[in-house]
Amino acid sequence: MDLDSMDCTTTMDVTDDEEIQQDRHSYASVSKHHHNNSNNVNVAAASGLLPTTTSVHELLECPVCTNSMYPPIHQCHNGHTLCSTCKTRVHNRCPTCRQELGDIRCLALEKVAESLELPCKHMSLGCPEIFPYYSKLKHETVCNFRPYNCPYAGSECSVMGDIPYLVAHLRDDHKVDMHSGCTFNHRYVKSNPREVENATWMLTVFHCFGQYFCLHFEAFQLGMAPVYMAFLRFMGDETEARNYNYSLEVGGYGRKLTWEGTPRSVRDSHRKVRDSHDGLIIQRNMALFFSGGDRKELKLRVTGRIWKDQQQSGEGGGACIPNLS
Amino acid sequence: MEPQINDLQIDSRLHELHFTVCTKHMSSTIYQCPNDHTEEVNIESQEKKPFNCPYSGSKCGVTGDTQWLLVHLRNDHHVEMHDGRSFSHRYVHHNPKHLHHPTWMLTLLDCFGRQFCLYFEAFHLRKTPMYIAFIQFMGDEEEAMSFSYTLEVSGNGRKLTWQGVPRSIRDSHKTVRDSQDGLILTRKSALFFSTDNNNSNKELKLKISGRVWRDQTH
Repeated sequence: MDLDSMDCTTTMDVTDDEEIQQDRHSYASVSKHHHNNSNNVNVAAASGLLPTTTSVHELLECPVCTNSMYPPIHQCHNGHTLCSTCKTRVHNRCPTCRQELGDIRCLALEKVAESLELPCKHMSLGCPEIFPYYSKLKHETVCNFRPYNCPYAGSECSVMGDIPYLVAHLRDDHKVDMHSGCTFNHRYVKSNPREVENATWMLTVFHCFGQYFCLHFEAFQLGMAPVYMAFLRFMGDETEARNYNYSLEVGGYGRKLTWEGTPRSVRDSHRKVRDSHDGLIIQRNMALFFSGGDRKELKLRVTGRIWKDQQQSGEGGGACIPNLS
Repeated sequence: MEPQINDLQIDSRLHELHFTVCTKHMSSTIYQCPNDHTEEVNIESQEKKPFNCPYSGSKCGVTGDTQWLLVHLRNDHHVEMHDGRSFSHRYVHHNPKHLHHPTWMLTLLDCFGRQFCLYFEAFHLRKTPMYIAFIQFMGDEEEAMSFSYTLEVSGNGRKLTWQGVPRSIRDSHKTVRDSQDGLILTRKSALFFSTDNNNSNKELKLKISGRVWRDQTH
């Protein structure tokens, strides 16, 4: 087969009609798989591997579960392939030809996969990258174009999508308060704060600088001490989150506690940020002191603001950002 | 109007002369003054009452006035004295995971013609490892309330600031620590500020800076 040609009929070395049919089929299926996105075709064509890439990729698809196969890839005596997960479930019978399945490994296919390069599965969401078969999966778990999980902190909401979609979802489905502007002044009121056993929390979404931020306020047990914590998450990726800073302040009666920090990305779950203590933490006694009165009721005023950080260290690896003082 | 007496301020307020003590709003950590109330009103006897040594290590039983205690702290406890109203210290906590009992550090501050004790302590709050820093005034409560202080810990793009009123050394260091009346942070939080991120298991390096202010309105 002439690897450089996109047109089946001009291949010189084809002697088998079946192969021509397969080529036509793969060419057609490229359009099907990539939703007629001309970008993809151009990208794949640029590597000169358009029909071959797809047909090898299809060979790596398990006939039973249709997932991509990874080593060890198995085959039966007749050469039909099977992924290792499905092999444990077919009771030693090849699902394609019903013959007895041995322990033959299809090493050749595993090796061919090494030279296979495929676009990221989030290509339709904007990811332009192409990866070798064996590193594609790993990239896809951290791909910046992958959809976001719903940032709602309650029962695990499994909704996914892009940021505008999730903002509407928070507003309409979770009934989260939406605020415009970059400063806030919230008063958290809770009668009988001592009765709080499980974590209780509140989420507000702020819209400023053309971005969306999630402000979390939560009461929980820290070890065995009751605390309140407030923190901000940026609805977007970590690199962009570093462009912003925020501050939170509580106080009263001669005392004041102020936190300044970088918002975490919503890629980090609400629980992960909470448990890393990356925010304003106030012991309950102190929160009640700030509430004034007879300390029976929590009336905690939390003020804060979000701003764009003009100076950025630009260093990689999460290294020190210049000291704000 | 100022709030009712509560746990946190109760010890500073006890000797406030014009404030009637209202038992209805106090909770169980009320200090019973060894003298009865009428004697507390007597300014003269209050001034003569000696202070306990604020060094909170071995229970030092030394008492005296502030000048005497300063000499005692420097000579007997080898506490450092820092001149000026602002300061910046770096605390290094070796082996932060192996904290069996509270470890702490005391520095003296000399400003406004007065002296202050700056405490930094690593301890456990109901099994959660914490750090606290606060300032106490070497003098009586009434004068202590004419000052305020800020403490700030920062690093890695984050900053935590506490502004408070220094407690008098009439309150023991432990009392102030247990009322959490200071800059308080969990060890996990502290790791965010620690300038030695590569070595997070071995050492905790915290930079704490601060200032003392004299309140003009008092």
